[in-house]
Formats: sequence, structure tokens, C-alpha cells
Amino acid sequence: MNHPEIWIMAAAAIFGISVYALIVRTHLLRQLLALKVMGNAAFLVLVVGAGTVNGLLDGIPKALVLTGIVIAISAIGFALAVLVRLAEVTGSVDLDEDPSDQEPARDTNDPRDGDGHAG
Amino acid sequence: MSLIIDLVLAAGLVVLAWQTLISRDLFRGLVMFVVFGLTLAMSWARLGSADLAMAEAAIGTGVTGAMLMLAYWRLRRNVPAAAEEREPGRPLLAATVGVLSALVVAAIGLASLEVLGPGGMAGHALYEALPETGVGNPITGVLIIFRNLDTLLEVAVLLAAFVGARAAIGEDSAALPLPPAQDAPLVGALVSVLVPLGLLVALYLFKAGSQDPGGAFQAGAMLAALAVVLTLAGRVRQTPQTGLWTGFALIVGTVVFTVIGVGMMALGAPLLAIPGMWAVYLIEAAMMISIGITLALLFAGSAGLGLRGRR
Amino acid sequence: MLAEALAGLVFLPLLVACALLVMPRRTRLPLVLLGILPLPLLMFPVTTAVLADGLQIIAVAGFERPLGIEWRVDALSLVLKWLNAVIAVLVGLYALADYHPGSGKGRRFWILWLLLISALNALFLSSDLFNLFVTLELMTLAAIGLLVIDGKPAALRAGMRYLILALLGSMLYLMGVALIYAAAGTLDLYQAGGLLADDALPIVALMLMTVGLLIKSAIFPLHAWLPAAHGNAPGPVSAVLSAVVVKASIYMIWRLWLWFAGDWSMDWALTVLGLLGAGAILYGSILACLQDRLKMMVAYSTVAQLGYLMLLFPLFGVLGFAGASYHLLAHGLAKAAMFIAAANILKGLGTDRMDRLDGTDRKLPIDTFTFAIAGISILGLPPSGGFVAKWLLLQQAWGQAGWGWVAVLLIGGLLAAIYLFRPLSRLCARPLAAPEQALKSPGKAFSLLGLLLALLALGMGFAPAPVMDLLLGGPPPGMAP
Repeated sequence: MNHPEIWIMAAAAIFGISVYALIVRTHLLRQLLALKVMGNAAFLVLVVGAGTVNGLLDGIPKALVLTGIVIAISAIGFALAVLVRLAEVTGSVDLDEDPSDQEPARDTNDPRDGDGHAG
Repeated sequence: MSLIIDLVLAAGLVVLAWQTLISRDLFRGLVMFVVFGLTLAMSWARLGSADLAMAEAAIGTGVTGAMLMLAYWRLRRNVPAAAEEREPGRPLLAATVGVLSALVVAAIGLASLEVLGPGGMAGHALYEALPETGVGNPITGVLIIFRNLDTLLEVAVLLAAFVGARAAIGEDSAALPLPPAQDAPLVGALVSVLVPLGLLVALYLFKAGSQDPGGAFQAGAMLAALAVVLTLAGRVRQTPQTGLWTGFALIVGTVVFTVIGVGMMALGAPLLAIPGMWAVYLIEAAMMISIGITLALLFAGSAGLGLRGRR
Repeated sequence: MLAEALAGLVFLPLLVACALLVMPRRTRLPLVLLGILPLPLLMFPVTTAVLADGLQIIAVAGFERPLGIEWRVDALSLVLKWLNAVIAVLVGLYALADYHPGSGKGRRFWILWLLLISALNALFLSSDLFNLFVTLELMTLAAIGLLVIDGKPAALRAGMRYLILALLGSMLYLMGVALIYAAAGTLDLYQAGGLLADDALPIVALMLMTVGLLIKSAIFPLHAWLPAAHGNAPGPVSAVLSAVVVKASIYMIWRLWLWFAGDWSMDWALTVLGLLGAGAILYGSILACLQDRLKMMVAYSTVAQLGYLMLLFPLFGVLGFAGASYHLLAHGLAKAAMFIAAANILKGLGTDRMDRLDGTDRKLPIDTFTFAIAGISILGLPPSGGFVAKWLLLQQAWGQAGWGWVAVLLIGGLLAAIYLFRPLSRLCARPLAAPEQALKSPGKAFSLLGLLLALLALGMGFAPAPVMDLLLGGPPPGMAP
């Protein structure tokens, strides 16, 4: 690794772009993309910033990034399920108009049928 | 020369990140995300980490990309307007945020540059402790032996993601929709080549992991990728219930890891101490299965997967 | 014994969660009970060890820092683990009313519930910055899975927003961790803190982590996601979210500022954090007064009460620490009780709109009583846990002549009285409006669980000594014991 500065600067730029996109973009799929890309910037800083041991990249952050990649895909897989379901139920793919906060929710009125919202 | 390669890759990452996140067309953004991921994988290879290159290509880009594309298709099915994104109509906010992000970028960039040091204490400790374990690949050493609590909890995260996705999908739609499979003869031929090849690669990655780049994560991702291909080709179908075998496959990673790690306490070993290479292989094999099946089910959006035609 | 007990607290719920996925229908209820009931028992050996010898350190997998991950138990960890154990059992038993593990949905609920408990137990032990990230992710995914489990549109929307913001918080935190590792070469929170001084890089890193955690903790002005999430979640989930889950990230902020960066001189930042807390108290309380749904009122009350936890930073001292920690515990118990009562009222009446609550006390006496008792502690009236906590905070503020903080504490109490009086006056004072709908009783046993929690919060006011001794004996470094 000859030029760590380059990678750090690239990671910083990617991080900034993600933060920007996350707030400017409203589509939830895009927001998830932004979070994923932001995570990659953090991974780059983690690995490159740690420097080298005996001429090799420090092994600890590499292992952490491997863990991080699996956690990221778990979070995204879960988020996509919620998102697809949200779109199915409400027909929207962003969170901008939000009538639900004050909506008088009928809570688990009949818990024992196992699925209060079915129908 | 090496400077140019670094520069091209790093600049490519920045440009592709911009294309992924800022381009108007969402589908184009998704495609760019995959290109970004592959460039990142190349960058990891360039930085000297084959493990990360493989994991990024297989999990971070491959399976993640497939999940995102499928979600895009599913969204468009329900919400025709999902394809287009509304104009980012908040110029003032956007500008403020842009400046703010730039400041964050500058702060991080400048702060990190002054620190780049001679590797961490932890890194040195790792290379001192590694030879005693018999594991040759330092990453496997960290994941399975030195910091295995992270890894164990991370397999639990996968389980939480699967069950959470089931919770979100609910009872009345047993599985999320899949695009109709193209049943061209060529698809069959492709599948019959890819599947055995993929299994072979997965086995190799699993076996190599203790000494060379590779390991449970990459092998599990390979298995998940195979399941993705089989699902899209219509060779497996979604099932409304998690079958017993699928259930066991989902939990085997967590259970084997925990039982070994806690069981050894009975013999006076510390919590989560790994008793030997047999345990490393056993844990890696169990994790490979759990990671593979969980990712496959997260992709398919169903409780289980079964062979076509069987009830 | 200590290591075994700690392992049990983390891995017992984890293993039971796994078992639920494959075990047949009939065995699942006993399994669930096996997963939660032993938790308070397992706390006893841990408690005696800490009481006897103070701070306990365990090197997980036998590898000490910086290579391995260390678990540490001190007074603060102990308090939070007790809270977690009590909530896991009592609110868990309450959840059996709606989510029987024999059904498909109940099974999913319990797997996520147990994973959540396990994640929290691991989080309150960990002293490793990256391991904390992993436990936070596990906690977040499990919590949001629970939130959306009924598939209601409002909950899905709230869950999605929570998820996006929680992930943003995680990414900011992770970037901070990356910078800390670059600078210190170790991920151990205490070790890294000792190696770093208050230079530019550690400060930027600390700021990133703090902002990420503030988002996750819904501290004003980053609180926007919380009321919708806590107000629309199923009853037991609201209870655990408000009682424990938001506390976890605040716990981490405390660890970062009072332990990791304990000896940096950053008084201005401590004041800013305190001001955020003051803003949360005032803003959350005022909005709680304006809500027309009971659960939303309780949720905004959480926004306000979390503010007190941030007052620890300017009210830096042993009394402040004891008060804030005691508040953590008392609020957890009282708010869980309050959400259970609100859920029962919602279930019984079919609505929780304030203007429909008239005369509920005749029909749901236990739940009304629970709500009132929990209200006493939230309000900080003597003799309750909330009173002890706020009294200590007040003493600390008085002692350091922080009149502004004194004012915030007093106004916060006044506003709490207003927002709690509104529903209580409806519940108790007025006659039943019209018997337009038959009231359903949620089941006495399940109401009594809520009452038990409320009485625990109240009881903390009668017998604060054991917890208080513990807290006063183990304050953060830099505070004279």
C-alpha cells in the first residue's frame, strides 16, 4: 500500500456524497444504497487507516470489514423486506408525506387470531 | 506507475459513488452500484486483501445487488411510480447539506492523514499470537479464534434479519413475488454447468480458508449465489413454511459455535475458547451453511425453498 | 461462576431463539419460559461478584485486549442488566397474551424478543468499540422486526424510518470507530481512551460516534422517529423499546464521554450535550401535552424523560451520576408499566383517543391504577424511584450553582404534571361517556404484570439504599467516590 492518502481522500469523498444523497434523495431504495455506500467508505478508512504490520495490511480491520459486510447485507435484506411490504400496503416508496403519526391506530384488537390486519 | 493505478481506482470509486447515488434514473443507479462494488473489490485486491475482494464481490456486490434489483422489480409491481424518483425539490436544504457533508469530508480526510501510523497494537498482537493457533490465514484467526464473539453475534444478526423479514412480510402473503422464470433450454444448460462449478468453488473456499484467502463467509456467499441462480431460473420454488431441514440450516452456525464455545467452559477453558483445528473446521462449515441459506432466503423473500414439483 | 452466569445471560436467550425455529409447536411455550425466567437468577452471581470485588473483567475466548474482546461489569452495567432482565421477564410474560409461541407469528415474536434480550445483555458487557457496533446492529434489527410484526401500515412506516435513521447512526458510529483504530491501534474503549488525547482526530471521531448514537437514542433534535415508532408498536414492544432499547445507545454515549474521553477537557461539549437534554425535556413535554392519543402521549413523554439522562454531562458529579443512573432504572420500569397500561386500555376500549377515555377506571381499574402509579414515578413525586432520581439531580445542580439546570428540572416536572393530569383526569374523574362499545378485558393476570412493574418503580423510592450504594461506589473515573 503505497499511497494511503489517496484512499483516505477517496473514502472521505464517498462518505460526503453518501451523506448528501441520503438527505437529498427521498426514494427509500436510494437511501438504502446511500447507507450501503457510506458503510463502504467507513470500511476503507478502517482498513487503510490502520496501516501495515510487517509490510502487510493489519489483519484485524480486514476481519472487521468481513463481519461488517455480512452485517450490511443482513440489514439491507431486512430493510428491503420492510420496504416492499410498505409499498404493498401504503403504495408509497418514500416517507415524505406522513399521515400516520396521529392516526388512531386500532391496536391488536383481537390478538388470538394471530393476524390482526388480515383481510 | 503504482500511483496511477491507485489514482484510477480511487477516482473511479468516487465517480461511481456519485453515479450510484445522484443519477436521476434509479435503475441506472442500481447498475452503477454493482459497477461500484466490483471496482471496490478490485481496490481491495489492489490493497492486498484477496479475502475482502472475494467477500465484496460475492456478498457486498453480488448477492446485495441481486437483492436490490429484485426489490426494485417488486416495488414497480406494486407502485408503478416507484421507478421514477421525485425531483429533489429542496435546493436550500440540499445546498446546506452539501456544504455540511463537504465539511465532514474535509474533517475526516485531514484528521486521518496526520495519523497514519505503523500499524495498530492489536495488529502486532495478532501476528504474534497467530502461529500458536495453527491457523495460517490471519483473518480466519481473528474471526474464529481471537474475536469470535463478533462473528458469533454476526451470525445472530443474520438470523434476526431473516426472522425480521418474515415478521415484516406477515402471514397473508407467504412470500414476496418473484419474476416468472424464463424456461429456455439454454437456461437449463447454464444452470447445469454453474451449479456443480459453484459448489466446487464453495468447497474450495471453505477448505482454503484456514490457511489461504477464503473461508466460511465467501463459501457461504457462493452457496447463496447458487440459490439465487436456481431461484431465478425457476429450479427451486418458494415454500410458505420453514421446513425442518431449512430451520436446522438456519441455526446450525449459531448453535455449533455457541455449544462449542460455552461447552468448553465445563472443561475449565475460558468462554468461547476454541479447542483446536477440528473446532475451527466444524464452526466454519456450520457457518457456511447458515450464511448461505439465510442469504438465499432473504433474497427469495420466503420462509423456505424447496425443489420444484415436490410438495 | 461469574463467567458462567454472564455466558448464560447472553447465550441462553440466543440458543432458545435458535431452538424455537425448529422445535415443534407444543414445546415452544416451555422453551420460551426457559429462555427468560432464569435471567434474573443468573444476575445474582454477577451482582454478588461486583458487590464484593467491584469491577469485573473477563477476556472472551481467553484473549485480552488489544487482540481480544473484553467484557466488563461495573455498577452501571449491572444496573442496566438488571433492568434488562426484569423487563425481559415481566414484559415478556405480558407479551404471552398476544403472542403465544405456538402460532407462527408468536414464534417470530419470541425469536426476535430473545435475540433482542441477548443483544442487550452482550451490549451492556462489551468494552470493545467494534463489538458494541455488532451488538447495536443485532439489537436494532431485532427491535424493528418486533415493531413491524403486526404488519400495520403505521408501524411499517415508523419502522422504516427508524431503520434508515438507525443505520445512518450505525454508519457514523462505524466511521468514528475506524478513525479511533487508526489513531490508537486498539478497539478497547478504555485502552484507546487512555492512549488518545483531545486532539483534532479523536475529537472528530468522538463527534461522529456521538452524533450517530444521538440519532439512535432519539435525543432532541434528532428525536423525530421515536414517537411514531414507540406509539405505533405493539404494547409489549413499545414497553421494551422505551424502557431499554433507547437506553442502550445513551449508555454508550455515557461510556464514550465519561470513560473513553473522561479526562479530555471539553466542558463546552458537555454543556452542549446538556442543552440538548434540556431541549428534549422542554420540547418533549410540551408535545406530550398536545397529543390526542394516549400512546403517543406516552411516547413523547419518553422523548422528554430521555433528556434527563443527558443532564448528567453538565451535572458532572457523584450525585448527578447516581441520579441519572437511578432515573434510567426508574424510568425504564415506570415507562414499561405505562405502556402496558396504555396497551390494555387501547385493547379494552378499541381506541386510545384521549376524548374517549372517560370513566375507564370503572371498567379497567387495575390498568388505570397502574397508569397512575407509573405516572407518580415519571412525574417524580415522592415516594417513588423517579423522585429519588430527580432529587439527586436537583441536589447536584444546586450544589454546583447551576441555576439554569435547576430551572429545567423544575419546569420539566411541572410539564410532566400537566401531560399526565390530562389522561388521568379523563380516566378517573369523569363518568363513562356512553356505553357505545362493549369493553374487553385484557385479562387480569396480564394487567397485574403492568402493576407489578409500576410498583417496582414506586418501591425504588422506599428502598433506594442497595442500588444507591452500588452506584455511589462505582462512578466514572474523575468523579470522587
